[in-house]
This record gives sequence, C-alpha cells and structure tokens, in this order.
Amino acid sequence: MGSRASSLLREEDIEEIKKETGFSHSQITRLYSRFHSLDKGENGALSREDFQRIPELAINPLGDRIINAFFPEGEDQVNFRGFMRTLAHFRPVEDNEKNKDPDAGEPLNSRNNKLLFAFRLYDLDRDDKISRDELLQVLRMMVGVNISDEQLGSIADRTIQEADANGDMCISFSEFIKALEKVDVEQKMSIRFLH
Amino acid sequence: MTNGGSTARRPKRRGRKRGSGETNGSEGEVGGEVGAEEGGEGGGTGSVEDAGGKGKSKKDKDKDKKGKKKKKGKGNSSDSKSDSEESMSAGELAALMEAVDEKKKLIANLRSKPWRMKRRLHVLREAQEFVDKFEGALGKGKNKALYAFKIMMMKKWIKFLRDFENFKTACIPWERKIKEVESHYGSSVASYFIFLRWMYGLNLVLFALTFGLVVIPEILMGLPYGAIPRKTVPRAEQPTAQDYSTLMDFNGYCKYSVLFYGYYNDQRTIGPLKFRLPLSYLMVGIGTFGYSLMVVIRTMANNLDVGGGDDADSEFTFSWKMFTSWDYLIGNPETADNKYASITTSFKESIVDEQDRQKDENIHLRRFLRVLANFMITCTLGGSGYLIFFVVKRSQEFATRDDIGWYEKNEVEIVMSLLGLVCPPLFETIAELEDYHPRIALKWQLGRIFALFLGNLYTFLFALFDEVNNKLDDEMQIRNASIWFTKEYYANFSRYNNDSEATPPPINPADAIRGPCWETDVGIEFVKLTVSDIQVTYLTIFIGDFLRAFFVRFFNYCWCWDLEAGWPSYGEFDISGNVLGLVFNQGMIWMGAFYAPGLVGINVLRLLSSMYYQCWAVMCCNVPHERVFKASKSNNFYMGLLLLILFLSLLPVVFTIMTLPPSFDCGPFSGKEKMFHVIMETIELDLPSFVGSLFTSLANPGLIIPGVLLMVLAIYYLNATSKAYMTANNELKKKMQMARDEEKARRNNKDSTNEVMKDLEYLLPGRGWEPDPEPEEVKEEKPAKKTKVKPGAAGDVKVQKDVSLASENPNGKGPVTKQPKKSKGPPKE
Repeated sequence: MGSRASSLLREEDIEEIKKETGFSHSQITRLYSRFHSLDKGENGALSREDFQRIPELAINPLGDRIINAFFPEGEDQVNFRGFMRTLAHFRPVEDNEKNKDPDAGEPLNSRNNKLLFAFRLYDLDRDDKISRDELLQVLRMMVGVNISDEQLGSIADRTIQEADANGDMCISFSEFIKALEKVDVEQKMSIRFLH
Repeated sequence: MTNGGSTARRPKRRGRKRGSGETNGSEGEVGGEVGAEEGGEGGGTGSVEDAGGKGKSKKDKDKDKKGKKKKKGKGNSSDSKSDSEESMSAGELAALMEAVDEKKKLIANLRSKPWRMKRRLHVLREAQEFVDKFEGALGKGKNKALYAFKIMMMKKWIKFLRDFENFKTACIPWERKIKEVESHYGSSVASYFIFLRWMYGLNLVLFALTFGLVVIPEILMGLPYGAIPRKTVPRAEQPTAQDYSTLMDFNGYCKYSVLFYGYYNDQRTIGPLKFRLPLSYLMVGIGTFGYSLMVVIRTMANNLDVGGGDDADSEFTFSWKMFTSWDYLIGNPETADNKYASITTSFKESIVDEQDRQKDENIHLRRFLRVLANFMITCTLGGSGYLIFFVVKRSQEFATRDDIGWYEKNEVEIVMSLLGLVCPPLFETIAELEDYHPRIALKWQLGRIFALFLGNLYTFLFALFDEVNNKLDDEMQIRNASIWFTKEYYANFSRYNNDSEATPPPINPADAIRGPCWETDVGIEFVKLTVSDIQVTYLTIFIGDFLRAFFVRFFNYCWCWDLEAGWPSYGEFDISGNVLGLVFNQGMIWMGAFYAPGLVGINVLRLLSSMYYQCWAVMCCNVPHERVFKASKSNNFYMGLLLLILFLSLLPVVFTIMTLPPSFDCGPFSGKEKMFHVIMETIELDLPSFVGSLFTSLANPGLIIPGVLLMVLAIYYLNATSKAYMTANNELKKKMQMARDEEKARRNNKDSTNEVMKDLEYLLPGRGWEPDPEPEEVKEEKPAKKTKVKPGAAGDVKVQKDVSLASENPNGKGPVTKQPKKSKGPPKE
C-alpha cells in the first residue's frame, strides 16, 4: 500500500504541500495513502460518495456540510492538494512555530482559520453572516423532531441574542469569534497526525 | 567539532565572546549582548530603583551565568547538525532546536526587556533549565547515548501510563448503560445510577473485608458444623430445620450457619496459622464503619472541586450548545443515537434553566406560599410522628394481652406502610405551591421524605432494643439452667455407670440447653428486613412501571379515554424515592453487618441485580420527565444524607460493643464481660509488654483532653480559612461578572447596565445636562428587550409531554447520496 501510493506522489509536490500546509514529509505520505484508500475510483480525486463511506461522517448530523467543505465552489471532485488544504486546518497549533516566511500570511491551522472553517459550515450562502434561518436549519439537523418548531425558533433567537453585538440579527464572523473565545479551539479542532 | 573545542577553551568570565562560525543567529546575539550590556547597566540601575545595590550584584551573577550558558550552548549547537536521529524524528529534532535557539535568544535579550528584576530572574531560571534539559538531546558529546536512552525510556513510560489510564477507564463497569440512560432521560436520572454504582463499589469492598477476614477463616479453619452446641440445630428444631418456610424465615439451618453471629466460636486462635478470629471480627466490624466514613468524606471533598466555575459559562450557553455539542470522534451508530438524544435533552434542560431565570413575579406572594407549604408539611410530619409513637405504645400493650387479632398484631407495620405510601405524593402536591426550580424541589422532597422515614427507623430500633432487653433478662436464667443441666448430666452418668474413672461422652451438641443468643436474632431481623425491602422494591417496579406501561400501551385501543395522554399514562422515574431507598438500605446494612456477616454478601447481590433490572425498567417503561433538569454538579446532597445515616447506624453498634454484655454461649465474644475486652486481651497476651503500658499511659485523661482540644482548634482554624477563601472567590466572581457586563454594554454602545456606573457617567464632563432622553431610551429598549426575551426563553411555549422516546438519528439510516443544495442567490433578508 505504502510504496505504490507514494510512487504516484512526486517530491516537488510534497515540497509544495509542505510549504503550503506545514505538514511534515512522513505525515504527507501517510495521508496520501489514506487518500488513496478512500479513492475507490482510482482516478486521483475523491467524490462525495467516497467521503460518505467514512462511518464517522455518515452518522454526523453535519456530515454533509463537512464533506461539502472539502470541495471548492461548484466542483464535484477534490484532488490531493485540495484534500490536504482542508485537512491543514486541523493540524495542531504549535507554540514555537517560527514564522519562516513573514509574508506568507497566517498558517492554515491558526485559530482564526480554524474558526473560519467552522463558521463556513454554518454560513451556507457565504455572505459572512449566520442568519436565523441558517441556525434553524442546523438546529433541525441536530435535534430532529423532538423539539417543536416554536421552541427551536426560540432557541435560535436566544442564540442570536447572546452572540449578536451590533444588533443586526445575524452572527458575523467577529461575533462568532467572540462567542467562542473561551472555547479551546486550538485543542478541540486539532487532530494529532501521528508521525 | 573543532569549533566546539575552541569555544570550550575560552575564558569564562564575561559574555564578550567572539562566537565565530556557529549559527548566524548567535553571532548577532553576541554583538547584541555586548551592546546591551553597556546600555543595560545604566538602564538597569535607573529602572530598578528599589532593588538598589542588590540589583547590581544580581546582574553580575547574571552575566556570569549567562556567559557560561552561552558557551555551552554554542558548543553544542554546532554538534547538533551532525546528529543522527536515533530516538526522535527529524521534525521533533528540528522543533527542539528551534526551541533551544529561542530560549537562548531570550536569555541574550533579557537585559533589554523592560521588566522588574524578579521577573527577569524567574524567566532566566526557566530558560536555563530548558536549555540544560534539551541541549543533551541535541548531542552533548559524552553522554549522548545515555541521554538518548533516557529519552526513549521516558517516552515508553509515558505511553505505558497512557495505556494504563485507558485500561482503567475501560474497566469502569456499566459506563455505556449509564450513558444511554443519561442521553435519553437527562443527567438527574443518570445521577441516581451513578450513585448506585458508587454504592456497589463500596459494598464490594466491605464484602471483601468481611468475607476475607471473618467468614473464610471460620469456614476453612474453624470447627465444622455440629461440633459444638452453638453450631448445631437444637434437637427441638431439627424436624423442621429443612423446611422451606423455616429457611425463608432464616431459621433452621440458615440460623446456624456462617451467615450469623451465633455461629462463630470464641477460641482465641484457630487453625495452624493461629488466626485470631474474635479480634478479627471486632476489627472488621469497626473497620467497616471507618472505611465507609473515609470513602464518603473523600467523595464529598472531591465533589467540592467540581462545583464552582459554573458562572463562567453562563454567558454563551446557547451558542456553545449549538456550535460545539457534537462529538466528531463518534463512529458507532448506537453511540451516535445516544449523542443525538443527549443533545436534545441538553437543549431541553437549558430551556428549563432559562425559564427559571426569567421569572419575575410577586416576591411576597411567593414567600407567603412557601411559608404556608412548609407549615403544612411540618404539621404532617408531626402528625405522622405522633401516630407512630401512639401505635408503638399500643403494640406494647397488645404484647401483654393474648386475645389479639391479625390487625392488632400487625398494626405497626400497616401504619408505617400506609404512611410511606401516602405521604410522599402528598408532599409533592403541597410542594407545587412553592414553585421551585426542579432541582431544588427535588432536594426539598428528599429532605422531607427522609424526615418521615426517620420515624420508621425510630420505631424499628425501639422495638428491637426492647426485645434485646427481654432476652438479656432471660439469659441469666437460662445460663444457670444450662450449668445445672450439665452438672446433672455428669452426675447421672457416673451414677449409672458405676465407673468413676471413665470420662463421660460429651453431651450431644443438639441436646445442650441454649441461651437466647440475642445477637443472632437481631441479625435475623435485619436480614429479613433487607430481603423484604428487596422484594417490595422489585415488585413495585414490576407492577408500578412495567404492568402499567403494558396496560397503557395495549389497552389504549379499547379504552374510553386516551390512556397515554391522561391518567395513568407512563410513569416517570421517581428519583427521590429510589435514592432514599438506597440510602436507608445502606443504613440497614451498616447496622446489621456486625450481627450478620452474610448480610453484606446479600446486599452486593442485590445491588448488582438492581442495576440491571432498573436500567432495563427505565429504558423500557418510563418516559423522560416533563421538565428535564440538569442534576446539580456535585453529588454532595446524596452524600450528605448517606453520612447522616452512617452516623445514625454507628450508634447502636458502638453501644452494643461498649455496654451490652455478649451472650454467654454464642458468638466470638462469648464468655467475656464486654465485647471490646478482646482488644485488651490481645494487647496483654500477644503484643510485647511495653505496648500495653504505652496504651495505658495514653489512655490517661490528662493526654486525651488536650488532644481533643487541639482537634477542636484545628477544626475551627480550617473552617475559618475555608470561609475566607469562599468570600475571596465570590468577590472575584462578582468582579468578573461586572467586567463582562461592562464589556457587553460598551460593545453595544448603550448605557451601562450598572447603576453605579450610570451615575458616574453622568458626572463625566461633556455629558451635558440632559440625562432625560437617555433613561427614556433605555426604558424603551428595556421593554422591547423584555418582550423579545420572553418568547426567546420559550417561557410561554407549552412544553410538550414527550410520549414517545427520542426518535432516531436521521443520519443513522445510511449515507445521504443526494448533493446538498447550492444556494448562490442573494443573502437572506
């Protein structure tokens, strides 16, 4: 499995991915073999069905949205670069990470970018605001029919009321950040990709 | 390597090293340091005024230390690059190198930082420790191999510890079951099962103690059944000894078995190991209480850590629940269902909490109603107490008469059962006047039923000790009778055999006259009580929950009114009743374990079966509460009740050990004046003589009274300290809350919510003298906010009664293959 998969991945590709995402060499090769094992169609790209074969995503109420986050706008296939780009959000944050390239911008796994990833899961129409309807959709997915619509509406109103700072009845990204300020996002949204 | 060698030979004194040829960074560092030194000295003296002369000398020390460190560091950094990674991967090594470099840079730039001396010293010490620790990893030359080995062993050890922790967590029994109950019924119902599991653990330890140290030695090394009178069924009872009804009453063979006190022999040592059984019996009896006390108090202390810090998350509760509640590591569909249900339940709990917070009614009416309710309940309790007292007195009268019917014989039990059935629902109905949050209402209910059951306990103990006193009176007579009987037997024997030399055969144990053996009788009473308690509980669950649910489910089709929505409908899990049952049961066990060692074993079996049975019953026949509420973070209320019962059950046993004389012919203490004389005997005979004199001198009142005084003072001091900490905690919380409110108000660009700040703001210059428009604005917003909030809290919405259990996770049915809708239109209004 390992040798065959890595033969399809060239050194320059690995170097580029390393620069872009910050993963190490061994991590990239390991993730490539995982990518390869998911890719049943053997065409070097993953489709939505491939993702839905993962049990943890299948039973997750927000599973579809997570899968959607892998695919760039309007496309149905994601190649290895895109796969790694999304996974880079979940790399653990290191304290002594020296910014090797000051103008490379924020690394993909910074707290801000992690929160942005999470924010985009809820903000379906990409207008940088989570509206009440979007909240209702998420609530409906999370609790199903056990709570009445009125109560769900009240919960959504209450959530907006808690987080909304400028009174526009929507949660913007900065309000989202403020609401989750005390949550240890760096630790919770990180997967320890073992060496 | 040559570079490293040359740096080693440099003079140690000042940091003015021309570090050539190492890393680029360190070159710059040296230059920087030299420059900083000159500047630093002047700046240092200027800034750190209070340190004064001290500061200067410390700085000199710093320079020396830094010089040394820099030398070593530089020497090693050149070696690091040529290292092979035996124990660490390249990534870790690189990261480590970076860290060490960073620390060294910090040490170098420490002077230029505008900090106080103390802080600089602290940082310096830390950085030096760090560099010390890890420079070896980068290859320190001499003991590099040893260091690498150490690192590897440490890693293996950490991995082993982690695996062990995982194993320990996996060993916790019934975790999945309890999680299932928790997700469907809320944390309050689950807290009962957690309490049950904790009790099971406690009883298991007591069982191990009792059986291991008392029962097993007696079985293995003691005399077998039938060898001596106390171990044999008397001749009179032998025909019926094997009957089912006698065994059910714990007479017959049951009574003369290891289960009860009377079986044990009073031989000082038994078996080849010279096991001191009477001593062990007494010690285990006392040790049971000691261990239970320790465990209860330790659990209470642990639970105190959990509470507090609760107010910190009262700010974004709903947001957090929405955005962070799913656990993305779940892969098992069943677990996903549970998690799904638990999210639903947790939303409902938050709704209840919110409702409670939004209430703002007439305080006076509420207070009046509460006083009224308490008054009514006190009257009821007083009435029931008097009724019990009256009935017990009457039963004493009846005991003297002979023409009593069935009702009079069982009057006490009937009255107590009736009270137990009628009063709790009555309390609940009256408690509706009080309108508390369900969590607090549960506590009040528990407290009141506890007070009611104390009446039960009082009658039981009263009756018991009455019987004991009677038996003690009998005992003197029987003792004389049995001595006389033995003498007669020998006299007859020698008369009939005409042979004064032959020793008579020993009296057949079954024929000897027996004393009343009141301890065994007391033990039998406790065992009977426990068994009947078990039967009643199981039957109640079966009839009250299972048959009721069965009836409601299947007879609903052919009934006039809707059984599920109206009466009787499905039952809710009765937390208070079950918890109190558990607590009182444990009290019985504690009291009875001294007189019947087998009781602990029976209790372990009972708790084990109860766990499975009740988990099944809850999942199968109950519905979640209408208002699902979160259990209080700490279990301390249950523990407090348990502690109270522990003390209450300690008293009779201690009284028995200290004052009552043991039976003369049964049990391990027969023949002694008081039970605790075993200890004195052991001290005299088994321990060296000086220990005996030590104990005698320790028992001197002159030593004990100061000891007690010291303990009282310690308690007072600790109490005062903890109160001080609590006040400090509260102050800090208040400050934090005020800061948060200020933040929010400032963010919202509105007036401050705090009255004091509002006043102050008016005094600020530039505010002008028009306070009037502002308050009106505030007032207008406030009512607007209010109406928005009320529906937001779902306070007006009728909370539906969930008849069906939580529906399944829709995603659990399999992957959804259709693509999600791509909404590209304009943003929503």
